[in-house]
Amino acid sequence: MFDKVLIANRGEIALRIHRACREMGIHTVAVHSTADADAMHVRLADESVCIGPPPAKDSYLNIPAIVSAAEITNADAIHPGYGFLSENAKFAEIVEAHGLVFIGPTAEHIRLMGDKIAAKATVRGLGVPCVPGSDGPVADAAEARRVARDIGYPVMLKAAAGGGGRGIKVVQDEAALEPAFTLASQEAIAAFGNGALYLEKFLVRPRHIEIQVLGDGKGTAVHLGERDCSLQRRHQKVLEEAPSPALNDAERARIGATVAKAMATLGYRGAGTIEFLYDGAFHFIEMNTRIQVEHPITEMITGIDLVREQIRIAAGASLSFGQEDVRFAGHAMECRINAEDPETFAPSSGVVTRYHAPGGLGVRVDSALYGGYRVPPHYDSLIAKLIVHGRTRNECIMRLRRALDEYVADGIRTTIPLHQRLVRDPDFANGNYDIARLERFMERAKSGA
Amino acid sequence: MPRMTIDEAAIRQLAALLQETGLDEIEIGDGERHVRVARNVTAATIAVSPPAAPASSPVAAPSAAPAGPVDGTVTSPMVGTVYLAGEPGAPPFIKVGDLVTEGQTLVIVEAMKVMNPIKAPRAGRVVEIRVANGVPVEYGEILVVLG
Repeated sequence: MFDKVLIANRGEIALRIHRACREMGIHTVAVHSTADADAMHVRLADESVCIGPPPAKDSYLNIPAIVSAAEITNADAIHPGYGFLSENAKFAEIVEAHGLVFIGPTAEHIRLMGDKIAAKATVRGLGVPCVPGSDGPVADAAEARRVARDIGYPVMLKAAAGGGGRGIKVVQDEAALEPAFTLASQEAIAAFGNGALYLEKFLVRPRHIEIQVLGDGKGTAVHLGERDCSLQRRHQKVLEEAPSPALNDAERARIGATVAKAMATLGYRGAGTIEFLYDGAFHFIEMNTRIQVEHPITEMITGIDLVREQIRIAAGASLSFGQEDVRFAGHAMECRINAEDPETFAPSSGVVTRYHAPGGLGVRVDSALYGGYRVPPHYDSLIAKLIVHGRTRNECIMRLRRALDEYVADGIRTTIPLHQRLVRDPDFANGNYDIARLERFMERAKSGA
Repeated sequence: MPRMTIDEAAIRQLAALLQETGLDEIEIGDGERHVRVARNVTAATIAVSPPAAPASSPVAAPSAAPAGPVDGTVTSPMVGTVYLAGEPGAPPFIKVGDLVTEGQTLVIVEAMKVMNPIKAPRAGRVVEIRVANGVPVEYGEILVVLG
């Protein structure tokens, strides 16, 4: 096992990794920018190294500074957390080239899953369900019609050269297909200089459901069930829960087994998440080759410390449990609390004048905040994660409401009031929501309805 | 009024003189031109605690003084390991009391096997060397103080 791990991150996840290391008897090295000299992870770590000025590109994304910090402190391994360098294949390679261990997958797998087209082709080959479509450009309207009949309407026509939501047309039925094809093709030529179109099934109000996996890199992988992350604002997750209210045990076991088998075949090492859109069937979106922000809800229902498992796997150990040992107990939810105005979402930095975190049975707060802490303006606005666990979904919701009402973080604007309203929404209480739900809820709140 | 030319060398000379003599302030005048050089010493810092950084920060006034770091501290621009000499056994680049010129190598910081010479940002006398040979340094750590 490692003697010393360098944590190449900041904020709550740096603290989270420090805690796992401490419980394993591993010494920690915190790295920080000059803006984070007073941060909690720096205060708690055994050693700390200032690696640069406030801008992330000069500090938390500065590969030479981080590797040098590991060398001067004689660290054995580097945990990248999430964001920053966590899915940077080059960083993983450099770390290993310096005789250090990268706590994560191989650089090859990071690179593979970072390329969306290669990722989709790979997982499809491993039996993971993807959005049905033409799997490449269609020659003409007649071919588009054949494919659309096969996969069923509504369908999306997408410009092969498009991206970021541009060059997409939704077609509701066959009558609309041919005119839409001609128009989309012309628009694609005008916008991208390339008229090639491909076809995909259009998913009406799907949920975002993701499967947590752990692989040992030696051909064994297990799944730890799903997380429902449908409550999003501008593709940013706001509130997550596990298990999903939309799945039953049989569906969970089926998709979980499919994903675990795919990852075992791939020889995947470490923690990973396979993200799907779900509309009654699963459709692969992407794979994240790192620990995720919302990992604690999986920990709460399985009792498995995911960061501990990441570290064990990186040190060459086998998984400490098998699929048959994974038991799901109760229900967990996580609210992402951001330093933002709850109405306008404008970032809010400054001094946290008073801080009181909620407590009690089944309540967990992952946060690096403390009274008197200054939230720096240079980084992500996530300042805390409130995670609660209950024996049932209803107990979980009641506990979450209670915990949110106890939470005090004065001096800055936070999204706590947004969560307080959201957890009292009847549709949320009923588990009746999809990826467009939160934005509809915000609209309704704005219009005073 | 005609644009004033800045005699940087004169200001540096005065700053060095200030350090050497232990005076707090020197002002010279020549016709319409006056240059006042003062040390950044306040009673409070002296009374409360021994100053963490020596109160050797000559501040050039008037506002015609060049922008940039005004005190004589030279900090490490990167994380790494400090070397005081070019190679093991060689004499150190600098000793306390040496006069250095702008651009002269003071120490080396090694990061990821690359030797990065840390050069004097200006001329001055080496007042203090804050680091020992072979020690690790952080970004922003004070290496050398120039007077």
